[in-house]
Amino acid sequence: MSSQPMQPDDRRMLTLRLGVLQYLLATVFAALAVSFWMFQVADHERFRDMARNNHMRRLPLPAPRGVLFDRNGKVLVQNQDVMNIVLFREQTKDIDDTLRILVQATGTDFAQLKETVERRRKDPSYRPIVLIENASRPQVVAVAARSLEMPGVQSQPMPARKYDGTIAAHLFGYVGEVSEAQLSRADYKDLGAGAIIGQAGVEQAYNRLLMGTEGYKAMIVNSRGREIGKPIYEQQAREGNRLQLTIDADLQKAAEDGFAHFGVVNSGKPYNGAAVVLDPRSGEVLSLVSLPAYDPNKFAVGLDAATWKSLLTDKAKPLSNRALQSTYSPGSTFKVVMATAAMEEGVATPAFRVHCPGGASFYGRWFQCHLKTGHGSLDMRHAIEKSCNTYFYTLGNMLGVDRIHKWASALGLGQVNGIDLPNELSGLVPSTEWKRREKKEKWYAGETISVAIGQGQVNVTPLSLAVMMMTVANGGTRYTPHVLKAIDKGKGWEPFAPPPPRSAVRMKNSTVKTLRDGLWLAVNGAGTAGRARIEGADVSGKTGTAQVISLTGAERARGKIDVRDHGWFVFFAPRDKPEVAGVIFAEHAEHGYYGASIAKHIIQTYYAKKHGKPLPSLVEPPPTTIVADAVAPARPRSGGN
Amino acid sequence: MFERRLFFHVDWALLTAILLLAGIGVAMIYSTTYVTLPSGEGYAGSQVRTQLYALAIGLVALIVCLAIDYRILAEHSLFLYAGLAGLLIFVLFKGSTQFGAQRWIDLGPFNLQPSEFARLVLALMLGMYYGESRRGARNSGDLVIGGLFMLLPLLLIAKQPDLGTAVTLVPVFLGVVYLAGMRMRLLAVIALAGVLIAPIAWKFALEPYQRSRIQTFIDPSQDPRGAGYQTIQARITVGSGGLTGKGFRKGTQGQYKFLPVAHNDFIFSVLAEEKGFIGVLVALGLYLFVILRSLEAARLAKDRLGAYLVGGIIAGFSFQVIYNVAMSAGLAPVKGITLPLMSYGGSSLIATMATFGLILNVRMRRFTN
Repeated sequence: MSSQPMQPDDRRMLTLRLGVLQYLLATVFAALAVSFWMFQVADHERFRDMARNNHMRRLPLPAPRGVLFDRNGKVLVQNQDVMNIVLFREQTKDIDDTLRILVQATGTDFAQLKETVERRRKDPSYRPIVLIENASRPQVVAVAARSLEMPGVQSQPMPARKYDGTIAAHLFGYVGEVSEAQLSRADYKDLGAGAIIGQAGVEQAYNRLLMGTEGYKAMIVNSRGREIGKPIYEQQAREGNRLQLTIDADLQKAAEDGFAHFGVVNSGKPYNGAAVVLDPRSGEVLSLVSLPAYDPNKFAVGLDAATWKSLLTDKAKPLSNRALQSTYSPGSTFKVVMATAAMEEGVATPAFRVHCPGGASFYGRWFQCHLKTGHGSLDMRHAIEKSCNTYFYTLGNMLGVDRIHKWASALGLGQVNGIDLPNELSGLVPSTEWKRREKKEKWYAGETISVAIGQGQVNVTPLSLAVMMMTVANGGTRYTPHVLKAIDKGKGWEPFAPPPPRSAVRMKNSTVKTLRDGLWLAVNGAGTAGRARIEGADVSGKTGTAQVISLTGAERARGKIDVRDHGWFVFFAPRDKPEVAGVIFAEHAEHGYYGASIAKHIIQTYYAKKHGKPLPSLVEPPPTTIVADAVAPARPRSGGN
Repeated sequence: MFERRLFFHVDWALLTAILLLAGIGVAMIYSTTYVTLPSGEGYAGSQVRTQLYALAIGLVALIVCLAIDYRILAEHSLFLYAGLAGLLIFVLFKGSTQFGAQRWIDLGPFNLQPSEFARLVLALMLGMYYGESRRGARNSGDLVIGGLFMLLPLLLIAKQPDLGTAVTLVPVFLGVVYLAGMRMRLLAVIALAGVLIAPIAWKFALEPYQRSRIQTFIDPSQDPRGAGYQTIQARITVGSGGLTGKGFRKGTQGQYKFLPVAHNDFIFSVLAEEKGFIGVLVALGLYLFVILRSLEAARLAKDRLGAYLVGGIIAGFSFQVIYNVAMSAGLAPVKGITLPLMSYGGSSLIATMATFGLILNVRMRRFTN
């Protein structure tokens, strides 16, 4: 062995240097131990939470919205599961790459997906972002097949609203993602982006009741986002409250069928327009129609931009609920108000007679009656029956605009009637005070003459005319029209306490009797509304026409807009103990009596149901082309309208 | 060769500590590589068996390195050194490639990683070189020659590329020359030069990915999904362990693979997660015991060769342990430096066991001539 033995010098140095090394290493180890102490003991809770966030995922379980029933317990709106393709950002390394693969797999539009993700970038990253709503079966399969390439993209069943086609679309409304503007409002503050809320109709008005409570489950996931084992915590979603509406599904269908059928019969295509049928004993809405309709199912599964745009720009304004969000000149239906006002104010008795030579002169101007040859001498009943302008000009002149305004208001015209649906308009019945306030001008007595036959400044919603007929029919109580009848919060049906009447007057018996007689005659006598006559049903009503006012004569000349008059028919039945009251508004129907045909079908349906007979059917089955799109099953999002 | 009385001079405490650490390593590998089927049943990963085989072979290697007098081994160190260089060159051309680096020789049933044996050979070589010279490492000429001995394998390994393993040769060299009497002033100069060169090296010598690794280490939140990911996850893993840990096979970070290749470079993080601060203290204590006990062996060594040999080996070992433990808590940039005795890796375990055979050897023969 040739090794060098240790010299004392070497030994000394070695021992010294080893000693230094010893202390150095011991110190480093102590420092390591302290560091681990800091992480593992001092700062443990923070890291524990971070570890939990890593491997625990909270999956929201969307709550199905409450089911809507009609007054007889028939299901109107329910839910169905659709597949959504969602993105969990927390598991995605490169969102752009992932989206590109998804676009390839599903044939969607990259820019649109990207925009969706951008819009939701502030959400917590565990919250799934819905990229493709109501994905088609091939899309779901394609996503499953390529799931390894795009971690974080999954298909998720999602309860979506299911409506029966377009029926009562405006009444039900539609649902959609809460908008950013809505999120900043107090009533939606507690919702997260992406929440589905009612955006119109009952869905909006009773959104809180219908929404239910979102549940969630906590899952363990590995670093690839794969769920491991069973959920460690699960809170089921609670379905929204079930609501029973005052609507009668059969009356609703009868009304909508009527517009389609008589429109085709009379003018070659379905009528657009509105209808409201109320129970005059309570203000319950039995049916509420606005046409053209849209398909709320399309909103339920996510509306694509093209369809939305076409709905917004459609000249026929399918999104507007004509029954309460549009106002029209009431025309001759306003004569019911005039008669009421005159008799209640004592200006005229039922026996008050006016001679009609085909018009009359007031304040130096000649006002025409619609019958140029004149009606001769008429009392109140027959003036209503024949709709004599001259008679009502005279009443208007005797009453003055303010007393007309007073009674129109008492009957619900020019007023918000408080229906439990969003965005009801009030319409307008002028008064001297109104003119002073709005126009800073004095009211001219001559203007009253036009008002007396429902023209001039008078503008009303179809709903308010229905309220007017209801109030007349029940003798003066202006019930608040409402669509909610009962709520089931999970413990059985509780009746919904209807709102108190908006106003009530006690009309004289003679007034009520005279109105009933006059309106009965209009249908059953020599009046204009004979088409609504039903043997034994004592339908009472009044037609009217509303002139379409064109802004520019040029447009009218070029035929850009339809200038045919709108037709009104207001009604109640039966005459003596009214059970239904309502309005039919048929756009460009030219005559109110076409609306009377629709009303007849509704009232027949009402009686057939009441007496347990088979429901009437319209003789020719009308083509079902009320809207561009009928019930739409899944369609690719790229499709327009 | 192996006299009976030598048996009584074997440092059983050190050997026990080494085996304990290796045992903890196997347990942690078992935990992180356990495969759970969707049915809930599961089985141990194949890595456990491989590691157990390596441990057995390592024990044989330890006994061999213990049985042959280290002086004889040292006399053949030039031969061993040449063999190592040959293998490293072979690997560069014919080695098998895994994870983007060419480090292994495919020997059929297992892969051999020659670089893991570089520390052992270098320590022998340097121990021999300085131990046999009267002067030790007192003048700079000697330092340069020793440095060149280090540089050859270092460059060959760095070329694979395996910078992590290559770098571990530096402490071996420093450990030997430190004990061999390198002037402290020179050490200070080297340290100062290092500080001055660092910015230049930063700019010119480092690859962009290496720079980004260091940057993200300093601020992991810069790139939490990319390079900073491991650092962040390592801290979470360690920190979430708490005082007593989440329990064996109950660590979420390791079990659900948030920490990549946990059974390898981050085995200590898994230990910290599942066994908590207490487990960390036990393991650190064992490592410190092994190191101090080895330093003791160096102090007791009969000759300079033995002392330098042990010093070189234990310096490399300590560096690896300290760096890896720091890294496992996110306290050092992520670098492919394994935790000796515990990390998964056959060659590493066998080579480490062999080096401890040498250390035991030096201590055992402290009285022999």
